[in-house]
Amino acid sequence: MTAELQTLIALAVVATTAACLVVRSLAKHKNHGCGGECACPTTELKSKIRR
Amino acid sequence: MKLPPHISLPEKKRVAGPERSPVYAMVGNPNCGKTTLFNALTGLRQKVGNYPGVTIEKKIGEAYSQHGRPMKVIDLPGAYSLAARSPDEAVLRDVLLGRRADTPQPDRIICVVDSSNLERNLYLVHQILDLGRPVIVVLNMMDVATTAGHLIDPKKLEESLGVTVIPCEAVHHKGLVELRLAMSRADLPLARHRWDVPAPIAPAVADLQASLVQYDTRSPLVARAEALLLLTDFDSVRVAGSTPLSSRTIEILASWRKRWEGEGTDWSATLIRSRYEAINRLCADVIRRTREQGPSVSDRIDAVLVHSIFGWLFFGAVMAALFFSIFTLAEYPKNWIDDHMTALGGWVQGSMAVGDLRDLLTHGVIDGVKGIVVFLPQILILFFFVGLLESTGYMARAAFLMDRPMSKVGLHGKSFIPLLGSYACAIPGIMATRTIENAKDRLVTILVAPLMSCSARLPVYLLMIATLLPSTTVATTTKVGLMLLMYAIGTLGAFGFAWLFKRTLFKSAPPLMIMELPPYQRPRLPEITRQMIERAWLFLKNAGTIILGISILLWFFSTYPKHPDPSATPDAQIAYSLAGRAGKILEPVIKPLGFDWRIGVGLVTSFYAREVFVSSMAVIFGVESKDDNTAAIRDALRSAKWPDGAVLFTPLVCFTLMVYYVFAMQCMSTVAVVKRETNSWRWPLFQIAYMTGTAWVVCFVIYQTGRALGF
Repeated sequence: MTAELQTLIALAVVATTAACLVVRSLAKHKNHGCGGECACPTTELKSKIRR
Repeated sequence: MKLPPHISLPEKKRVAGPERSPVYAMVGNPNCGKTTLFNALTGLRQKVGNYPGVTIEKKIGEAYSQHGRPMKVIDLPGAYSLAARSPDEAVLRDVLLGRRADTPQPDRIICVVDSSNLERNLYLVHQILDLGRPVIVVLNMMDVATTAGHLIDPKKLEESLGVTVIPCEAVHHKGLVELRLAMSRADLPLARHRWDVPAPIAPAVADLQASLVQYDTRSPLVARAEALLLLTDFDSVRVAGSTPLSSRTIEILASWRKRWEGEGTDWSATLIRSRYEAINRLCADVIRRTREQGPSVSDRIDAVLVHSIFGWLFFGAVMAALFFSIFTLAEYPKNWIDDHMTALGGWVQGSMAVGDLRDLLTHGVIDGVKGIVVFLPQILILFFFVGLLESTGYMARAAFLMDRPMSKVGLHGKSFIPLLGSYACAIPGIMATRTIENAKDRLVTILVAPLMSCSARLPVYLLMIATLLPSTTVATTTKVGLMLLMYAIGTLGAFGFAWLFKRTLFKSAPPLMIMELPPYQRPRLPEITRQMIERAWLFLKNAGTIILGISILLWFFSTYPKHPDPSATPDAQIAYSLAGRAGKILEPVIKPLGFDWRIGVGLVTSFYAREVFVSSMAVIFGVESKDDNTAAIRDALRSAKWPDGAVLFTPLVCFTLMVYYVFAMQCMSTVAVVKRETNSWRWPLFQIAYMTGTAWVVCFVIYQTGRALGF
């Protein structure tokens, strides 16, 4: 793999990561908390409630 | 069948027909096994523990009847009565009285009762029977009651109350089939219990009941139960989401209160007493004691573990064992992870041509993730110990021991459970403050909880200790001592600020602690293991998403823009990069603490979560070294220098950095939870300001004093 192609792929990975982090932080969180350990609803429970 | 005069059939709309799943509410005293039963019925895995106040929010799950029909089950926080004294108890009251718009009023109620404490548990059952809803009483922990010499006759209790009574041992899944069968019944019998309200109080009950029916749209029976409740606790605790009472009802309540005060008779106490008298008569009928009451096994253990001297020695031994295990037991798995991640980095390095992608994979992705994943064994050990404390019942004893020192700072021992929980993670700790009755005490506990050293600080402490103390020359006990010192600084800091807040912002009388000490239980290892696995998964998920993402971005910011001179040293390249430039802007603020701009970058990125600091150091110093092998971060830190050639990570700087992480508010999730729990941005912003401000001042004093003393 050439150095130029490596740079291109690396920058694409960085851009995708940045977009993912932005979307994640802007997404509306239904439940704040640590994701299960803190007794906030787990994914399993949330899916059951949704059903 | 002719119904007793105080019972009427539920309204049509609340009857669970074939088209609608019935809604069951699961209620009971704290620590009577509700969540264990809820998990057994629904197949969910909500957190359980052997201390009061584990469940602080309502949980909804789905169970299936014997015929496969779905039934909704709501697990509610425990309460000793419907007269709420804390926000978690108010949730129970509001759901049962239909005051919450977000939760359906339950069609049926499962009252879980701790059989070894039947008399006390029946007070809540008695209040719930007033609601006139179909009730199933579950006599949980029958084995414990039998061992304690209490032989309960469920049939007799069923006859006396007129509702279905099921003996059960939720932990051993005994009695579940019978409970499911009872829940599957189309019609459940309504309570037959008689309780005559004292005659002088009856007019007040009638007045309030009429107003609640007319102005607050309650059904007659719920209105009567609510009227009795309002007359005993005057509705002092309210939580968000609860529909307020109408002004007319409040007026009537106030006028009766005033009239009673004028008469000088405590009718509220009379009301409570008359209920207890009815319960005593009932218990005398259904319980047969097989032996005289003497000190139980738990009492005998408590004679040592809550002793004013031995209790503290044991508490210290538990804490020392915890930290000793972190340094010794975790070494093998930690080295295994380290070796394999290093081998992976070496393989990528060897198989790819020189270029940005190779650099990103080795120094960004692998170094960043490895930096944090190697600490997984230590974090699991921490959670194992916390699980052990919760499962055996020692957590409540620790709170009892801490009551005296806590009272010196104006809080009571009950605040210590959220603080102790914060050793694992501040988020559950802050949520657990809902069990604290006094609003000011609750807020103070929320404000100081993040000062307790959470598991996210562990990687930072371990990295700094490894940098500060070489493992070959320094004994493990010294490292354990340093780690204990960090935890002690955090704990003392929390106590100090609690003392300050209670004397300035939140002045109130020192509270009295009333807390149930649950019987000791053998640790439930499957439950502890499950919690550890869940925690490990959460940690790895975090490392694979957020920390990975931040590491990739940090690699970019420390690699671009590229230095115009291709032969520039790695040091010059990183200084020229975006991260370098941003760090240099920050450097004047942190230089008085002994930190350079590279540490500054770590401080900024770890505002998201403290453990990100470690991966940030791995990326920044990995990029700088440009070494073919992914050298251990600690070695990279040890060799880091200031531009004048002086060592950057001196013992004093390592120590100062650890102290910075003890005090600084570096966790976005905690900020979000504090905002939610206090319902305002004011307190989380105040918390960021006071904690980070304190971190700066304390570190400044330590570093400058250390320098002046020649360290």
